[in-house]
Amino acid sequence: MISPVRIWDLPTRFFHWLLVTHFTLAWLTAGDSRYLDFHVFFGYGFLGLLLFRLLWGVIGSHYARFSSFCYSYSAVIKFLTTPSSFSNLGHTPAGSWAIWALLFLGFLVSGSGLLTLGALNQLGPLEGYFNFAQGDLFHWVHTSTAWSLLGLVILHLSGVILASRIHRESLIWAMITGFKNTTCLNEQSVPQHPLIAYSLLLFILISAGGYFQGRLFQNPNYQPFPSPPLPQLSLWQSECEDCHLAYHPTLLPQRSWQQIFAEQHNHFEEDLSLDEDTLQQLKQFAFQYPAESNLTKTAWKTHSTLSSSQIPLRITQTPYWREQHQTIAWKQDSNFPAKLDCVACHQDAESGRFTAAAMRLPTATDFPPSR
Amino acid sequence: MKLAPITFLLTLTLSPFIQATPAVEELFTQYRQKGIQEFSADLGKNLYFQEFKLAGTGEIRQCADCHTPDLRAQGQHAETGKIIEPLAPSINRQRLLDIKEINKWLKRNCKWTLGRECTAQEKGNLLTFIQTQ
Repeated sequence: MISPVRIWDLPTRFFHWLLVTHFTLAWLTAGDSRYLDFHVFFGYGFLGLLLFRLLWGVIGSHYARFSSFCYSYSAVIKFLTTPSSFSNLGHTPAGSWAIWALLFLGFLVSGSGLLTLGALNQLGPLEGYFNFAQGDLFHWVHTSTAWSLLGLVILHLSGVILASRIHRESLIWAMITGFKNTTCLNEQSVPQHPLIAYSLLLFILISAGGYFQGRLFQNPNYQPFPSPPLPQLSLWQSECEDCHLAYHPTLLPQRSWQQIFAEQHNHFEEDLSLDEDTLQQLKQFAFQYPAESNLTKTAWKTHSTLSSSQIPLRITQTPYWREQHQTIAWKQDSNFPAKLDCVACHQDAESGRFTAAAMRLPTATDFPPSR
Repeated sequence: MKLAPITFLLTLTLSPFIQATPAVEELFTQYRQKGIQEFSADLGKNLYFQEFKLAGTGEIRQCADCHTPDLRAQGQHAETGKIIEPLAPSINRQRLLDIKEINKWLKRNCKWTLGRECTAQEKGNLLTFIQTQ
């Protein structure tokens, strides 16, 4: 007689599908820094879910416990060569190894993500512990482990589909309902633990509400990651803003500022005629905080992607600027923001930070084509 | 348009009574010490609208390029597009108050527009013209 038995309790199933959701959404919001806050939230959620699973692997119901699917290498080989020799309702030996690997890689992805956030974006709990060069390394680890994780997910899914065909029973459906069919009458259903499962879900929903309330209820200029201001000099701002945005000195290397001030009598065709005192104050500020000061990711990227022979006099000549703006189809239209008009898209341009999350691409209605 | 001649007449009759700011008064004194006798708002106006051909590129420039033909209107920087507040002191009370500012802009903008610094006579004429606005 065949009868259904519950092997996956509710927290295990919730964990599984929530992990799938978080991974998918984090994947979709990766790369585009405008959605960095979403990516970071799903990353935190992903890590939190893994931690919950560690706990549940110790205190959960029978089939959720690590002890129930702790198989040796030889057991996996035996299972793969003679699958019929194995009869257990929980994870198969091969399946269990996939779970272990998924857990391990999952921790690597979220851990390297936290490191990247702290080092490259100067955000999160690890802010300030690492430099930008290390951040580049963390980012490389983060992306390569994420791709490996995706590969493993595909392997896991293939295994699931294969096993479902062999046993003529959908394992995916089992992970939804929790039930598998068995002929063995000794098997008993595991407890459901609904309170823990719904608490987990509620916790995530409340966290999301708190985390995204700024996006939901604040003005369109809402910035998810407010950053401390960079050093400013009021003389710098007033002198530069006579004619244009006071581009922060971190946007060009020191040698560029040197040349710009040496050529102050022909500053893009204008004779600035700065008096000696003003000139000295401006120079001092620029030489104190040039791109090499590494105060921001933009500063670090700007000077580290420059060859030492280059002395860019315009920010738009730097390789980093060009790379970051290559997808923009500049129009000659007078209503389309000019390249020097940073504020049109970067809400924190005046502060000099240029954080990715403070970027807002204008829509066609912001800049209707002129007739 | 009907108002234009009236405004012109009014400006003409009132111009001797327009008070120069202390800063402009001080500059006039400096210019007089250099031997300038009289300042003319008309000549200042002519200079404001005069077109200058740049030696190198042949580009044509005039004050009104950035400050617009109407000194009471907001202007725009020719290169960067930055908004320039009106020059006319009647609209913009911040104008013509600070000697340092006036000297800075007369020097920088004469060089950009004329390709050279303005003479004391030209500066006096320009200031006389601007303060009637």
